[in-house]
Amino acid sequence: MKNALNIGFGILVLAIVIVVSGTFYTLEEGEQAVIVQFGRPVGNPVTEAGLHVKLPLIQEARRFEKRLLIWDGDPNQIPTKGREFIWVDTTARWRIADAKKFLENVASEAGARSRLNDIIDSVVRDQVSGSELVELVRSASWEVPKGEILEEVPAEVREELTKRIARGREEITRTILAEARKVIPQYGIELVDVRIKRLDYVESVREKVYVRMISERKRIAAQFRSEGEGRSAEILGTMEKELRQIRSTAYRRVQEIRGKADAEATRVYGAAYNADPEFYAFSRTLEAYKEGQNKNSVVILTTDSDYFRYLKQAGTRPLPGAAAARPAR
Amino acid sequence: MATYDPEVAVEELLRQLRQRLAALGSRRIAAVVLGALLLIFLSSTWFTVQPEETGIVQRFGAVHRTVSPGLHFKFPNGIERVRLVPTARVLKEEFGFGTAATGGGGRTQSAPDKKDFKNVSLMLTGDLNVIDVQWIVQYRIEDPVRYLFRVRESRQTIRDIAEAVMRRVVGNRLGSDVLTVGRVAVSTEVKEEMQKILGEYETGVRLVTVELQDVTPPDPVKPAFNEVNEARQDRERTINQAQEQANREIPKARGEATRTITEAEGYAVERINRANGEATRFRAVLGEYQRAPEVTRRRLYLEAMGSILPEAKALYIVDSDQKALLPWLRLESGEMPAAAGKGSGQAEGVTGGRQP
Repeated sequence: MKNALNIGFGILVLAIVIVVSGTFYTLEEGEQAVIVQFGRPVGNPVTEAGLHVKLPLIQEARRFEKRLLIWDGDPNQIPTKGREFIWVDTTARWRIADAKKFLENVASEAGARSRLNDIIDSVVRDQVSGSELVELVRSASWEVPKGEILEEVPAEVREELTKRIARGREEITRTILAEARKVIPQYGIELVDVRIKRLDYVESVREKVYVRMISERKRIAAQFRSEGEGRSAEILGTMEKELRQIRSTAYRRVQEIRGKADAEATRVYGAAYNADPEFYAFSRTLEAYKEGQNKNSVVILTTDSDYFRYLKQAGTRPLPGAAAARPAR
Repeated sequence: MATYDPEVAVEELLRQLRQRLAALGSRRIAAVVLGALLLIFLSSTWFTVQPEETGIVQRFGAVHRTVSPGLHFKFPNGIERVRLVPTARVLKEEFGFGTAATGGGGRTQSAPDKKDFKNVSLMLTGDLNVIDVQWIVQYRIEDPVRYLFRVRESRQTIRDIAEAVMRRVVGNRLGSDVLTVGRVAVSTEVKEEMQKILGEYETGVRLVTVELQDVTPPDPVKPAFNEVNEARQDRERTINQAQEQANREIPKARGEATRTITEAEGYAVERINRANGEATRFRAVLGEYQRAPEVTRRRLYLEAMGSILPEAKALYIVDSDQKALLPWLRLESGEMPAAAGKGSGQAEGVTGGRQP
C-alpha cells in the first residue's frame, strides 16, 4: 500500500518534470528559433532571446544562428578577360534572415553553404572572366602615376600603368554582391557582403612576373649607374673648363702685367741712356764684366792692357789716349 | 604484503565504502547528496570579473546586464550565466608572419607554415608586380555584447577583412610606393576602411592600430632590388667622387692663379723700380762724367778691373812680346806652373790695383 503510493507519487513528479521542461525553452542571445509542430513550422520565428513557452511534446524548437556568419570560398583558378589565369579567393558574410524560409529551403547551415558555393562561385567566375586583371587589382580611385615614376618603367608597362580604370575592384565586388543577392533571398538568407580576399598569379605566371620584375630592376640599376657616370663626366668636364679658364686668365694677367712693366722699364732706360749712348755702353760693359765674373774664371791679360801697362814700364811716357783702353772691352 | 595488486586494493576499498553506507542509513545518504547538490548550486551564485574584463550576465539566454571588474552575484546556473570578455586588453592579429608562441620542436613545421604565411603576405600591386607585405592589426573589444552576439567567429572576420582591405589598398598603389614612402598612408587607409566595414558588420571591435611590418619584394626578386639600391649608391658615390675632385682642384688652381698674378705684380714693381733706380744712377754718374770724361773713364775702368781680378781663380799676365805662351800653361789644373813665363800667378799680388 505504502509502496504503491510512493510509486504513484514518483510517476506524477516525473510527468510534471517532463511537461514543464517541454513547455519552457530558453533562447540564447544571437539565436533564433522556429517552432515545429509534427515537422511543420508554425507561427513566426522567435528572435528574442530569453525564456519562451511552447506546447510540450507536440512542438519542437529548432534553433538557428542570428549572428553574422562566414562563408569562405575555395580558391579558384579563373581566366580574366585578358586570358591570364589567376587564383581568386573570395569570402562572404551572410546571416539567416528568415528562419522559416531557411528551414524550409536549406534546412541547415551546411545546406546553406553549399547553395552559397554554387551561387557566389558562379557570379565571381562571371565577373572575373569579364574583367581585365588591372581592373581586379586596382580601384576606381586609381591615380594615374606621373613624372618620375614613369621614367623608371619600360614603355610597354607605362601604357598599362596610365590606363584609366573603368570599373575597379570595388565596383566589381559590388556587382558580384548585387548579382548574388538576386537569387539568394528565396533561401531565407541575407547576403551581407562579398569580398575578394586574395588574388594571385598562378605559379607559372608568377615565375614570369618575377623574371620581369628582375629584368626591370636590372634595367633601372644600369640606368642609375650610367647616370652616375654621366654626371661624373659632366662635373669633371666643367672642372676642366674652369681650371683652364682660371689658368689662362691668370697667364693673361701675368703677361699683361709683365709686359706693362717691361715697357715702362724700357721707356725709363731709354730716356736715361739716350743722354749718352757711348758712356752707357762703356759703363754697362764694365758692369757686365763684373757680373760675368766668378770664382773659377781665369784671366789672361797682356802687359799691353791699360791695367798692367805700368807693370812693364812705370809711367815715363805720357798716358795714351782714351782709344788705347778700348781693346779691353 | 609481498606483492601489490591494484585490483584487490580497489575491491577492498569499495567493500569498506558499502559497509559505511549501510551503517549510515538511506535518509542520511539522501541528506548528504542533497547538501552536496545545494553547495554546487550556490557556488555558482558569485563570480569575479578581472580588471581587464567585462562580464556579460545572461538570464535565460538573454543579455540582462553587463558588469565591471570586481565581485558580483547572480542567480545560479540554469537561470543566469556569465561570460567574461577581455575588453580592456589590446588583442593582436599577425599577417604574413607568426610570433613563435612555443619554443623548440617547431622547426620541422616551419616550412609548411611559411608557405601559409606567404599566401597571406604575397599580394599584387597596382603595377601588377608582386610584393610581400607583413602587417599586424591591434584591436580592442569595445562592445562585448555585439562582439559575442552579432557576429560568429569574430576573429576570423577581422582576419578576412584585413586581408581583403590590405590587398585592395596595395593593389591601388605602385609597388615602389608601398615599399618606400607609402607605408604610413597604406596603414592609415587600411585602418579607416577596416573600421568602417567592422562597424557595418557590428562586430563591436575598435581598431587600435594597423601597422606594416616587413614590406619587401618577393624573395626571388630581392637580389635585383638590392642591386638597384647598390646602383643608386654607386651613382651617388661616382658623382661625389667627381665633385670631390672638382672641389679639391678648383680652389687650388684659383690660389695658384692668384699667386702667379701677384708674383707678376711683384716682378713689375721690381722691374720698374730697378729701371728707375738704374736710370737715376746713370744720370747722376753721367752728370759727373761729363765734367771730366777722360779721368772718370779711366777710373771706372780701373775700378772694375780691381773688383774683377781678386775674384778670379787665376790671373796670367803675358808680355805682349811673348809669342808662344799658351802651350806651357795647364789652364785647367789650377796649380800655378813653376816657370810660367814672367807672370806672378797669384791674384793676391795685384790687389793693390784697387788703389789708383
